[in-house]
Amino acid sequence: MRVYLFGFASDDFLGRVIVTPDQRTVAQLADQLVAWGQAPERGGPLTVRNEAGDILDPAATIRVAGLGNGDIFTVERR
Amino acid sequence: MVLRRDDWLDLARKVDWTPRYVDERELFPEEISGRPWLTHDAWRNWNEAYRTTYREYVANQRDKDAAVLGVRAALTKPRLFDDLDPGWVQLVKFHNGAVALAEYAGAVAELRMARFGRDSAWRTMASLGALDEIRHTQIPLLIGHDLLAHDGNFDWTHKAFHTNQWLILAARHLFDDMFLAADAIDLAIQLNFVFETGFTNLQFMAMAAMADRAHHHVFEKTVASIQTDEARHAQIGHPVLRTLLENGSRERAQYLIDKMWWRCWRLFLALSGTAMEYLAPLSARNRSFKEFMTEWVTEQFMKNLAEFDLEKPWFWDLFIEELDYAHHSLQLGLYTYRTTLWFDVAMPDRAERAWLNEKYPQWEETYGALWDQLELRWEADGEANTLAYGLPALCNLCQLPALFIRPGRNTACTIEMGGRRYLFCSEPCRWIFEQESSRFADHNSVVDRIVAGEAPGKLTELHRWMGLQAPVETGKDLRRGLDPWRLDPVPTA
Repeated sequence: MRVYLFGFASDDFLGRVIVTPDQRTVAQLADQLVAWGQAPERGGPLTVRNEAGDILDPAATIRVAGLGNGDIFTVERR
Repeated sequence: MVLRRDDWLDLARKVDWTPRYVDERELFPEEISGRPWLTHDAWRNWNEAYRTTYREYVANQRDKDAAVLGVRAALTKPRLFDDLDPGWVQLVKFHNGAVALAEYAGAVAELRMARFGRDSAWRTMASLGALDEIRHTQIPLLIGHDLLAHDGNFDWTHKAFHTNQWLILAARHLFDDMFLAADAIDLAIQLNFVFETGFTNLQFMAMAAMADRAHHHVFEKTVASIQTDEARHAQIGHPVLRTLLENGSRERAQYLIDKMWWRCWRLFLALSGTAMEYLAPLSARNRSFKEFMTEWVTEQFMKNLAEFDLEKPWFWDLFIEELDYAHHSLQLGLYTYRTTLWFDVAMPDRAERAWLNEKYPQWEETYGALWDQLELRWEADGEANTLAYGLPALCNLCQLPALFIRPGRNTACTIEMGGRRYLFCSEPCRWIFEQESSRFADHNSVVDRIVAGEAPGKLTELHRWMGLQAPVETGKDLRRGLDPWRLDPVPTA
């Protein structure tokens, strides 16, 4: 199922909408957000958190990680 | 013998009577006259500080119009654009589109108070206020029309409020809330006390000072003249607020003030903050947006709150923090989404960056690298590589992009309600939404509409949906102009 999420990369200046199948992994979701942002070429490991601040397993699917329509996630470069 | 003014003025102002065919509640229904509903006894002492007769009003307005039109006539039409900085022209285009027809909505608000205000002196003041607001629409329309021959996008002075352009939808969302869907009491607090007493100084007096330095004297006269009207009818707010506080409605009054302060701040950082610091030429900037906000808006607001023994809004610390950053973040949003605007947007040059860093010591460290990157991208791959193609997350209250206060400092939050999850740029926006969820919950942001298939997702079609004719009307880089790449029929490739 496709879901729409609001992603916030730590080195960006606003939130961006990501529409994606919820079978993709959290790591793929983070890569997609960073690719849309201001510094896609910077590289480096990413940490993904939900609105509550919990770190999400990068190997988990979006659905298993508990993200659904309208949810926020943040991506930080380590 | 002719009566002296003070001998008859109260007779003209205070013409309340006791209704015999309907009761007072039917004449002034709570739904539109406002809460708390009080008998007229509570409103009997409603008095404005500076009284005006209709005769004085007409004479003053005639003089003010003559002053504006005199400057317009002196600067004959072929010379209207002479000496105007290109960035300043875009600032005026932005201002006109966002403000001219909002004033018309202000006339509706004043007329509502002219009928449903609870004391006749209030209603008289509001009648003059309605005439003011009509004037505030007509003059920008006239000036905007003069500029059409030089730049076709000045038709957005009239057109903007009839479109689905996203920034205009954000402005309309606020003005509908504040002006069109408010009762007389809420209007007096929100429009007169907060918006006019608090914020219009910024858009009109600060802009007039800048217009003088930018040598745009028609605009200077126009906005300064408008503010003199605002200062008069803004007086409505104080006696209404006083009556509320005297009759046990302190909590309601505080809520209306807090709510509208935040909502106005959101609009003004987008409209005035970005325009003053990225479109006004350096030679026109005598103060920063933050300095204007501090000296002209917040200090006055603090005095007003102290006068009524009211509290600072609970989100004050966040507001103070945002003064240093929020409009700079929004400028990056405007720049990277410029093809969705009706005016051109500037990338700050070296001298402007030095000025910004002088006024905001964290500016270069926070935003410098982001602008450097856009510059490098343009040089490497042209304009196409400097635009954002994904959708920005829009706040379900203010309708503006969910900006960071600064990179790495994100205040976005959500709420689940009625099976739908709503996004907000900040806690104050969510708080306002929660207080009046039935008022706001059914509204869909532009992004909500795109996701639901109610608005096109393809950029070229979205331009049309927003009323923008691409590429001629869509915003460009101020200094680089129309990139030939824009003539590509499929710019989303």
